Amino acid sequence: MLKKILLCLLLAIAPGFVRAATDAEARSLLAQAIGAASDDDQIKLTAQLPAAPTLKKGLIAWREGGVYLYDSGAAKIAYILDDATDADGKSKAFRIDTGELLKDPAGKPVLFVSSDLNAVDTSARLRRVIQTALDMLALADPDPQARRSAVMKLGMSQKKAYLALLEARRPLEKDVDVRNALDEAAALINLNDPATQAAAIRQLGDLHSIGSYKLLSTIAENPGSPNVKGARAALKQIDTYISWSNFYGTLFRGLSLGSILLIVALGLAITFGLMGVINMAHGEFIAVGAYATYVVQNVFGAGLALSPFGFSINLPGLNLSGARYDSYFLVSLPVAFLCAALVGLLLERAVIQFLYRRPLESLLATWGVSLVLQQSFRLVFGAANVQVNSPGWLSGNMTFHDVIFGYNRLFVIGFAVVIVIGTWLVLTKTPLGLLIRAVMQKRDMAACIGVRTERVNMMTFALGSGLAGLAGAFLSQIDNTGPSMGQHYIVDCFMTVVVGGVGNIVGAICSALGIGMIDETLQPFIGPVMGKITVLAMIILFLQWRPAGLFVTKSRSLEG
Amino acid sequence: MKEFILAAEDVNKTFQGFKAISNLNFYMDKGELRTVIGPNGAGKTTFLDLITGRSKPDTGSIKFEEKTELTDLNEYQIYRLGVGRKFQTPTVYVDHTVFENLVLSLEGSRGVFNALFARVTPAQRDRIHEILKTINLANKADVKAGTLAHGQKQWLEIGMLLAQNAKLLLVDEPAAGMTDEETVRTGELLLSLAGKHSIIVIEHDMLFVRQIATKVTVLHQGAVLCEGTVDDVQNNEKVIEVYLGRSKARA
Amino acid sequence: MTKRETSLGALVAFVVIVVAPLLNALPPEESFFHLSNFSLNLYGKFLTFGVLAISVDLLWGYTGLLSLGQSLFFALGGYAFGMHLMLLIGKLGQYHSDLPDFMVFLGYPKLPPHWVPFKHFWFALGAVALVPGLLALVFGFLAFRSRIKGVYFSILTQALTYGACLLFYRNDFTFGGNNGLTDYKFLLGHDLRSAATQRALYISSALLLLGVYLFSRWLTTTKFGKVQRAIRDSENRVLFSGYAAANFKLFVFVVCAMIAGLGGALYVPQVGIINPSEMEPVKSLEAVVWVAVGGRGTLVGPIIGAVIVNAFKNYANRAFPDYWLMLEGLLFIFSVLFMPKGIVGLPAQIRAALSRPKREEEPAKPAAPAPAPVEAEAESV
Repeated sequence: MLKKILLCLLLAIAPGFVRAATDAEARSLLAQAIGAASDDDQIKLTAQLPAAPTLKKGLIAWREGGVYLYDSGAAKIAYILDDATDADGKSKAFRIDTGELLKDPAGKPVLFVSSDLNAVDTSARLRRVIQTALDMLALADPDPQARRSAVMKLGMSQKKAYLALLEARRPLEKDVDVRNALDEAAALINLNDPATQAAAIRQLGDLHSIGSYKLLSTIAENPGSPNVKGARAALKQIDTYISWSNFYGTLFRGLSLGSILLIVALGLAITFGLMGVINMAHGEFIAVGAYATYVVQNVFGAGLALSPFGFSINLPGLNLSGARYDSYFLVSLPVAFLCAALVGLLLERAVIQFLYRRPLESLLATWGVSLVLQQSFRLVFGAANVQVNSPGWLSGNMTFHDVIFGYNRLFVIGFAVVIVIGTWLVLTKTPLGLLIRAVMQKRDMAACIGVRTERVNMMTFALGSGLAGLAGAFLSQIDNTGPSMGQHYIVDCFMTVVVGGVGNIVGAICSALGIGMIDETLQPFIGPVMGKITVLAMIILFLQWRPAGLFVTKSRSLEG
Repeated sequence: MKEFILAAEDVNKTFQGFKAISNLNFYMDKGELRTVIGPNGAGKTTFLDLITGRSKPDTGSIKFEEKTELTDLNEYQIYRLGVGRKFQTPTVYVDHTVFENLVLSLEGSRGVFNALFARVTPAQRDRIHEILKTINLANKADVKAGTLAHGQKQWLEIGMLLAQNAKLLLVDEPAAGMTDEETVRTGELLLSLAGKHSIIVIEHDMLFVRQIATKVTVLHQGAVLCEGTVDDVQNNEKVIEVYLGRSKARA
Repeated sequence: MTKRETSLGALVAFVVIVVAPLLNALPPEESFFHLSNFSLNLYGKFLTFGVLAISVDLLWGYTGLLSLGQSLFFALGGYAFGMHLMLLIGKLGQYHSDLPDFMVFLGYPKLPPHWVPFKHFWFALGAVALVPGLLALVFGFLAFRSRIKGVYFSILTQALTYGACLLFYRNDFTFGGNNGLTDYKFLLGHDLRSAATQRALYISSALLLLGVYLFSRWLTTTKFGKVQRAIRDSENRVLFSGYAAANFKLFVFVVCAMIAGLGGALYVPQVGIINPSEMEPVKSLEAVVWVAVGGRGTLVGPIIGAVIVNAFKNYANRAFPDYWLMLEGLLFIFSVLFMPKGIVGLPAQIRAALSRPKREEEPAKPAAPAPAPVEAEAESV
């Protein structure tokens, strides 16, 4: 019986959804509704309004008593006032039917003081209908996220009146998430009705409705309710769902943190792991990459003026915008790689080539290099952090089963996969890779058979440094780009490589992902700083168990 | 029947799929001077590593004096039982004088606090000078070991074993880098030590082996190929096949 | 050490310990001979750095252990003493409470229990050495037991320092967070800021440095010292000579942590503040620079390095602040590449270079020949 009444109401409203109306048509319909003679006419016309987003402002104003009528002589024109007022407290007026400025017959814009005016009156019944129209508008919002939250808002209000609205919307909705939300909202409303409560509880449980958790708890804790058992079962379902979605959320965040670690540590896995060079300036190579990205971005934008060491350099900008501007990031990747590789090449030639057999000294000398680089960044780019804008497509996120997938996190995972595959290809499928592996395994032997080990060292170090630069290009998107940014990563980098087992790229991958996971798992309980400290402590204890890291590469040669 | 100083049974050791030692059984009497030979990769040095605790076997047992299981102990514990080792490449303290090298090797406490307050007693000093004479380095006592010639370093390392007064000496290629005369002297020295000490010598130089060897063990692919006198071994078909044959052909 | 060197050393010690404080106390301020309070205070700071540098060198130069945790131990000693100084402020703080200012600010109801015993001078003095020593004992035990050495040891000590530093930056760690401990007023009943107290602190620093120097000299000449250097040159041989190398390393690591802690304790009252920035890993590396510049493997080297580098830093920071870090970096690269034995080894290096002028300039050879890798297995591969 009830359903039938609802269906009738639905039929009255449905055309609003179906009819594709242009904005102009919609506006004039609203103006007609406002201008209708009787309350009943107003209600009837309002109920038939199309769900055009452009009506939102007008409807809200109408409901809140912000719509006025202007008598132009020929007709009464409905209008709203602009929020801004001029020095005399006067505001401009906009016509409801066209959305344009309200002008007097002479064509001059008319200004009003809001307190002088009498707003169009609305009855309580009318206001409810306007609200319904507004809710419908929200349900038809082009953004699925907004639709979803509108649906849930209706559901949470638990008002029976909305049931028809929701059910009318249900067949039109194409987005799965929103459709689920519609069901959820309907079930939430049904929860209030003893007749439908049991079914609603079951449905909410099946839908894993986190939003209904509190309501279900109330039912479950009310001994008088016949549905205690059902509510408990539904709560259990939801609990399981929540822990799974938390688990996947942690997994995802751990994966992305691990990917970041992997990206920053991969270069080190080559310079430290394969070559045995302790490069304390690795962090600064990351910063080189980040600054390279900064420069590229400014060249794509308005240009950049630098004044290092008393010189002044002006880089002209291309003044691009939109997607073309956003594409700077893709360009900056190779630039960052090359810049860092070049700096690495210079460092190898100037310092490191003398220190191959003295790892402790290479640690100290490269620390000196890191100081020099840091100060150079300060002198060239200033001591403060520089602003690197992320391309539009890196911000935002998507939600899947209540797990939030940030696009930047998704990107970093993909980025890590690409870099790892790329590095693997370079090391295994190219002549350079063959030489690198030969020299790293048996330096003397490689030299004997005519490999120019010096050149291979140079190229290997440049490769490792270039990878650090790539990491920097990425980090500039999610972290501050500044002179000391490298310092934040250096300890993590070394830890990752040591835990993975020096000289083992696979080990570095496993340890980066492992550390990332553990860190993300701990963080919700003890916070980021304590999480980090705990991870460090765990690493020290881990090395008790496996002093050589996860993967031991050289079991047969102990150093003297 | 003499007591075994060393008894290794069913020892296996694999490095990344490479079987360095495979079902090795090796017995040695107290006071014996044993020479171990074998082609490259036969597992000679790995065997010494297993005895001295540098690496652990995958399976099997190595017993010292028939009672102590060496595979449970680490390097310095095994040393303290009386097992001394000379490495293939002479390993001495390059920044210490020859005298100091020997002081550090003298038998006695190895504790931290002993080291803080220990003094070199006159008796120890005499002992060191005696050793210096034995190893022909009497005039080099205050020279830094790093400046010694290769052969002299070899002797210094042997001297360090003497200072330790070990029950079992493991000597890896003592004659490498020595002149013929020095080699002969080294041989004499080892022979003079046999009886008091048990000695395992690993050597490639067959002349040297002939000079010192009473009993020879041939290792091949991580297992004992045969054992016997030098002549027995040199006439053994299998040995000629895997090892001596090739070295004869080269000679 | 020759007789001449000994008497030169005694003279320097006399000037530093006796003459300098007298020049500060006696001549009137306008006199040419007057040593200003500021300078004396600065030198006092340098002397505590000298103590820190010796602790680095006993590990690095003598045992081959490059510890990047010395700044942590230095700062821990500083914190332990700083806690005592905080509790001596009494009601003279900004909030006129018995609690240190930062505790009032952060809303502590009462003194945390682990702060209470620091009211006693002797307890604090003991903690200055024992707290770093204990941490070194635990960490060293774990690290040496699993035979972590070489660069891995450096990286792990750096991680330890980094972790501790993060911890001390936290407000809820009860040590003042970012701001650390500061605004000290008294020490042993004397006004901390008076010239006389500062002079006494200077003399204490000089005496501590002398004591640490003499102790280290004794240590390095004992059999222990010989084992120490043997570990540096050939740890395998040491193991195969029956020494439990881990115990020796642990002992010297703990001793050095305590030495650094003592240095930190005297540093804090002279600069008037201790905060987590003192224990950042960078500070450890700086101390290593002093040792490298002065000359490692010697005991005068670290002292000379600490004083010279810091004096230079002090000057450069005022003269050309933009370039100091760059100079420090270049200085470091230079000394590693071209002065492997530091300033102390410079005369010998120059003599060697002059004695064979014909030969091409060698690209800096290692200071101590890197221990030849034992190629025992190479043969059987």
